[in-house]
Amino acid sequence: MNSSIEALRNGTRRLLPWLLPIAILLAWELSARCGWLSTRILPEPLAVLKAGWTLALSGELWTHIRVSAGRALAGFAIGGGLGLILGLLTGSFRRVEIVLDTTLQMIRNIPPLALIPLVILWFGIDEVAKLFLISFGVFFAVYINTFHGIRSVDPALIEMGRSYGLSGWPLYREVILPGALASILVGVRYALGFMWVILIVAETISAQAGIGYMTMNAREFLQTDVVLLGILLYALLGKLADAAARLLERRWLRWNGAYSSA
Amino acid sequence: MMKNDNLELAQVEAVDGERTGLAVEVSGLVKRFGERQVLHGLDLRIPAGEFIAIVGRSGCGKSTLLRQLAGLDTVSGGAIGLDGKARDALGDEVRIMYQEARLLPWRTVIQNVALGLSGSRTQVRRRAEEALAQVGLADRADEWPIRLSGGQRQRVALARALIHRPRLLLLDEPLGALDALTRIEMQRLIEQIWRQHAFTAVLVTHDVGEAVALADRILLIEEGRITFDEPVDLPRPREHGEGRFAALESRVLKRLMTVEALNPRNQLRGRVTEIVIDRVLSEVRVLTPAGVVSAAVPTSALRELSLELGAEVLAIFKSNEVVLATTD
Repeated sequence: MNSSIEALRNGTRRLLPWLLPIAILLAWELSARCGWLSTRILPEPLAVLKAGWTLALSGELWTHIRVSAGRALAGFAIGGGLGLILGLLTGSFRRVEIVLDTTLQMIRNIPPLALIPLVILWFGIDEVAKLFLISFGVFFAVYINTFHGIRSVDPALIEMGRSYGLSGWPLYREVILPGALASILVGVRYALGFMWVILIVAETISAQAGIGYMTMNAREFLQTDVVLLGILLYALLGKLADAAARLLERRWLRWNGAYSSA
Repeated sequence: MMKNDNLELAQVEAVDGERTGLAVEVSGLVKRFGERQVLHGLDLRIPAGEFIAIVGRSGCGKSTLLRQLAGLDTVSGGAIGLDGKARDALGDEVRIMYQEARLLPWRTVIQNVALGLSGSRTQVRRRAEEALAQVGLADRADEWPIRLSGGQRQRVALARALIHRPRLLLLDEPLGALDALTRIEMQRLIEQIWRQHAFTAVLVTHDVGEAVALADRILLIEEGRITFDEPVDLPRPREHGEGRFAALESRVLKRLMTVEALNPRNQLRGRVTEIVIDRVLSEVRVLTPAGVVSAAVPTSALRELSLELGAEVLAIFKSNEVVLATTD
């Protein structure tokens, strides 16, 4: 009896965040049906769903998603990986910081999108250009948070580790890296969000496949439903990436009361 | 053979462990931080297995001495010998416990205890479990430190120090942040473990009662030198508040207060010119070379201090209670 009430309450708590989106969808559907909204401006949700269904059946949708997600993840892996490595290096070694950090901080202030003309000149409008933009965009979020994470590891814990005979890699593995992890993951989450923003811009420049290509193409033919589908897909993928990052946080930071789900 | 009794287990270990305490010899130890000299040629001998307590006001250099013994800071001058050898050669036989437990929050209790221990996984686990059992926390082995209370965290830190079988255990006010009851429990635990393992122990503390309860010898450090050195000749385990305990405690305390009073700074010599008696708090006015100073004294203390008109007194200020204001 008690447990069923508990389950009900749990279920309500899970459903609650979705209440508003569902209500908006319903209102939207209603206003489209009653003719208050022109389909040219905003097609009814059902039409978007239908467009999605047709594209999914033809297999076109999956190709676009695969291409887009592949681009995003490859860019993230390159930029994020470099950011992590350089952040660890500058955070751990004063000398590397002195040599590198000023340069990186200067480059950081360039908005990645300002580089588009230059990137097109360098790499043309190929995949490389898109990868470069995404990598460039996510690099700094990971780099800065990693650097900051390493630097803000509690010195008392490092001293304790040393007095217990840890040094070099064991000290890094036991104390410094786990201490920096929370901050690194904040960087990863931020980078994941930024990754999609850059991807969208990069894909609208020019592409032969991908969600951006799909929406730009649909715009040419005034297929508002497909355009909308593309936008929703971006939202969905963004949410997925964020959920993945949160899963990592929950797993790796479970020692910290603030992240445990209990 | 059942080994479910922690005490028995520990004794078995102590017998086959056959490690004994380190003899410590500090001569002419000097420590400077930039311009400021904290230790002024300090000499100290601790026989193997002795429990020393160091008391003193904050900033007197007692924690600095401990950090030097632990090898955490470099020595500016003088020498530290452990069993006749230089400090560095014996690094793994010295362990320190800090005021905060300094557990790694991302490692479980048992992983924290096993920190820096080498050997096969099962062997390490077994030794860590034994150490945890000694401090009475065997059942919390796989929890995160964040779930433990302050006293439990300090017990884990103690187990972490003990697992290395230290021959010299340095305690830097490890119980300072605990509540009174937990503190007394921990004192008993530390004493019990010290008697089983026979290591040399150096305890830095603010709490004179704690020093009297635990130490064979109480030292007072003042301005970077040892100015008071008294053996504690009481049978163990000692009871707080028992006659001789209390007498010694108040003697050390008085000595500590005198040190405060004799500090040439923050005091004014003068003569009592007026006493305004009130039911609870009386006001005593003292004429000093700097002018009249007014002190609030509990009425009950007036008689104890035998304050009367014309008495010569010292008006002492705690430096951290002097407030400065601009003159305009």
